[in-house]
Amino acid sequence: MGVERTISNFIRALRNAEVRVSTAETLDAMSVVDLVGYEDKAHLKRSLSLALPKTADEKNTFDACFDQFFQFQDVRGEAANDSKSESEQEGEESGEGGDGEGGGAGGTPQTQNRRKKKSKSKAKQNNLYEEEEEADLGPGEITEAHSPLGKLLMANSRVELAQSMAKAGEAINVREIQIFTQKGLYARRIMDYMGLPDLNQEISDLRTDSRIPARRLGQELKQRRDFLREQVRDYVEQQFMLNADVSGKRLREEMLRSVKLSNVEHRNFRLIQEMVYKMAKKLSTLHSRRRKVFKRGQLNVPKTLRNNMSYDGAIFDLYWKSVKVDRPKVFAICDVSGSVANYARFMLMFLYSMDEVMPKVRSFAFSSDLAEVTELFNRNKIEDAIAKVLHDYSGGSTDYGQALLDFKKLCLDDVDNRTTIIVLGDARNNHGETHAEVLKELYDRSKRVIWLNPEAKLAWNTGDSEMRKYGAYSHQVEECNSLMHLERVVSNLLRQTN
Amino acid sequence: MGDMEKLAESVSSLQAAFEAHRYICSEEIATAVFLAYQLRKPILIEGPPGVGKTELAKTAAKMFALPLIRLQCYEGLDESKAIYEWKYGKQLLYTQVLKEALGEVLGNAKGFRESVEQLHKFGDIFFSEEFLEPRPLMKAIKEEDGCILLIDEIDKADHEFESLLLEILSDYQLSIPEIGTIKAAAEPPLVFLTSNNTREISDALKRRCLHLYIPFPDVDLEQRIVAARVPEIPPALQQQLVAFIHELRTLDLKKMPAISETIDWARTLLLLHADALDATVVRDTLNVILKFQEDIDNVKGEVTAITAKVAK
Repeated sequence: MGVERTISNFIRALRNAEVRVSTAETLDAMSVVDLVGYEDKAHLKRSLSLALPKTADEKNTFDACFDQFFQFQDVRGEAANDSKSESEQEGEESGEGGDGEGGGAGGTPQTQNRRKKKSKSKAKQNNLYEEEEEADLGPGEITEAHSPLGKLLMANSRVELAQSMAKAGEAINVREIQIFTQKGLYARRIMDYMGLPDLNQEISDLRTDSRIPARRLGQELKQRRDFLREQVRDYVEQQFMLNADVSGKRLREEMLRSVKLSNVEHRNFRLIQEMVYKMAKKLSTLHSRRRKVFKRGQLNVPKTLRNNMSYDGAIFDLYWKSVKVDRPKVFAICDVSGSVANYARFMLMFLYSMDEVMPKVRSFAFSSDLAEVTELFNRNKIEDAIAKVLHDYSGGSTDYGQALLDFKKLCLDDVDNRTTIIVLGDARNNHGETHAEVLKELYDRSKRVIWLNPEAKLAWNTGDSEMRKYGAYSHQVEECNSLMHLERVVSNLLRQTN
Repeated sequence: MGDMEKLAESVSSLQAAFEAHRYICSEEIATAVFLAYQLRKPILIEGPPGVGKTELAKTAAKMFALPLIRLQCYEGLDESKAIYEWKYGKQLLYTQVLKEALGEVLGNAKGFRESVEQLHKFGDIFFSEEFLEPRPLMKAIKEEDGCILLIDEIDKADHEFESLLLEILSDYQLSIPEIGTIKAAAEPPLVFLTSNNTREISDALKRRCLHLYIPFPDVDLEQRIVAARVPEIPPALQQQLVAFIHELRTLDLKKMPAISETIDWARTLLLLHADALDATVVRDTLNVILKFQEDIDNVKGEVTAITAKVAK
C-alpha cells in the first residue's frame, strides 16, 4: 500500500497548496515513480516536478511542498531512516516483549498488524514494550490503572490508541487546522479530549504513593504518556499537511474574499489587488472563448450553393453567415463619497482588469456632481487612476438626484438597448430630491440597469436610503460588498453582454 | 533503434549525449527528455525567450538521429495547414482528364439510377490518401521510424488549435473524416511544444504533457554553455562576461539578455579581440545584449560600476 498511498496523500497536500492536479496527472505521477524509483529523492523530485506542476508558480509551490512532505516520510510510507528489514525485525522483538509482559493484555496480534501500516516512531515504540525501570524499582507487580486513558495506555493496543486518537481528532475538528502555529493547540486539545487531565492527576498521585507497584505504574504511565504525546503530534502534523493552508496565503485570501470591502485594511490592498486581478483573469479565460467564436464568420453552405448554381456549380462567390456585430456598452456610475469609496475602488479595478473580454466600459464618478472618468483610466495605471478619482470627486455630500440629472445630460443619447448601466451606491440621498424619473428613463431605454448596494439588505430603506424608489427602476438589485459578490456580478454581466 | 534506447536509458547518459552535441543542459532538462522518452509523453517547454527551448528539440533530433518536423505556430493556423489538406488541384485535373473516360465507365448502364450505382462502385477515389497533402502533424504521425515533432510557440496559435492537438498528443493518432483514423507507426514521434507564455495554455493541453520550465541558467551552467558554444574564448573573459550578464539580469529591464545574447556577445568580443571586459568595450557592444534603446540608456550609466565589480 505504501507508494500509492503516499503519492496520493502527497497530491492531496499539493492540491491543498493550490497546485491543480488532475486524476490523469496522478496516474502520470505513479508511472513516474515506477520508472525512477524512490531511492534517489532529488531525482524523484525533479521527475515529479515535470509531471505534476504545470506553471512556474506551481513549481515553486511544489518544491516547498515536496520538501515539507517528505521531511517526515519516506515515499514508501515509512518513517525516514528506517529500512524494511529493520522494521520487521523490530516487529518480532517487540512482539515477544509483549507476550512476556503481564500487562500485555492480548494486544499483540493486532499490534503486529498495525505496525505494518503505521510504523512511525519505532524508537518510541520500544519504550512501550521494554521496561526501562528506574533503579530503585525492580520488575514485578504493577497495580491497575484507574483513569480511562491510563487503562487504554496500559492495554498496549495501538489499534485502540490510534482509534481513540482519530476519534478525538474528529471531535475537536482537527481538519479545520489552518496555520502551523495551531499545531500545539490542536495536539493539546486532542490529548485533553482523550483524558489527559485525569491521567496527569493519576500519575502525580501514583508517584507520591508509598506502595512500590503503584509507583511502578506511575513511571510506566508517564513514559507511555510521553510516547502518546509524540504520536499525537505526528498525527496533527499529518492532518496539518493534508488539510491546512500551508502557506497561510489561502486563508487570508479566503477571508478577504468575503470580508466587507470597506473594512479591508490598507496593508491588504496589494493582496486584494492581486486577487481582483486573478479573479478577473479567471473570468476572462472563461468568457474569451465564446467571444472568439462570435468574431468569426462561417461559410453559409446552402446559400453559397444556391447562388452559385447559375455558374455551372463552380463555386466562386462565397456567402458567409453574417457576423453578429454586437457592441454592448457598459456604463458604470460610482458613488465615490466616503462610505462607498472602497467598493467603487474595487469594482472599477475589476472592470478595468478585464479589458480583454469586457465590452467598452465608460465610468462616471460622483458624490455631489457627476463627471466622466473614463479618460483618466485610459491614460493612467488603474491604481493611480483610482487614487486620483477618489481624491478629485469624493468631497461633497452625496446627491443622487443631481448625479442622475448630470448623467442624463451627459449621455442619455448614448444609452440604447445594448447598454448596461451599473450603479454602485448605497442610495443614501441625505433626504434630497431623488429624481427617480430619470432612472426610469434610463431603465426604459437601456438593456439593463443593475444597482449594486454595498449595504446589507436589512439596512436598505432605513433612514435616508431611497433604495425602494431606485430599486423599482432597476432590472436587478444586488447586495455587493465583498469580492465574492463582485465576482458574481461581473460574471453575470459577461454572460449577458456577450 | 538500439542506440536510441541506450542513449535514453538514464539521465546521466542523456546529459552526456547532449553535451557531446554542444548542448549543455541542467539535470531538469535531461530528466524531462528521459521521462518523455520512457513514458512516451510530449514535453511542454516554457521559459523566457532565448534560453534554448527550440534548440533542445533540434539537438534531441540530432542526438537521436531522427528527422525533425517543425510546426511553427501563428495566429490563424488551422488544420489545413497543420494536419492535412486535399490536393484540390490534382482532384480537379483528374476529373477533367477522366471526363472522357466517363463514357467507358458508364458503358452499358441504362438510365440515371444505374449510372449512379455504377459510379458508386468507384467509391471515394477522390478522397483517398492519393489526394491527401500531409502537413507537419500528419507527416510526423506517418514517419515509420519515429521522429522529433517540434510544435514551436504554441502560445501564438489560437485556443481552438490547442484542442486540435489533443488527439495527437494523447493517443498519437489523427482522425480524418473522409478516411478514418490514422495511427502512428510503431515508433510514435517524440513531441516538443514550446511556449513563451504570452498567454495561458489550456489545462487540457497541459494535462497531457510533461511540463518543463527552463529558467535563466546559473553562473556555472552558463559558463559551461558559453565554453561549449564559443570554445575559442579565453576563460578569464568568459567568466567576466557571464558575470556581467548575471548582474544585468538583476536590473529592471524590458528584455533580459538570454543565453543566446550571451553567446552572441561572446562571439562579438572575440571578433573585437578583447581580452578582458572594460567599460568602453562594454558600452560599444551593449546593443548586442540589450534590444531596447531604453534598456541601453538605463544600463549605460551603470556600466562602469558593474564592469569594476565583475573584473574582481
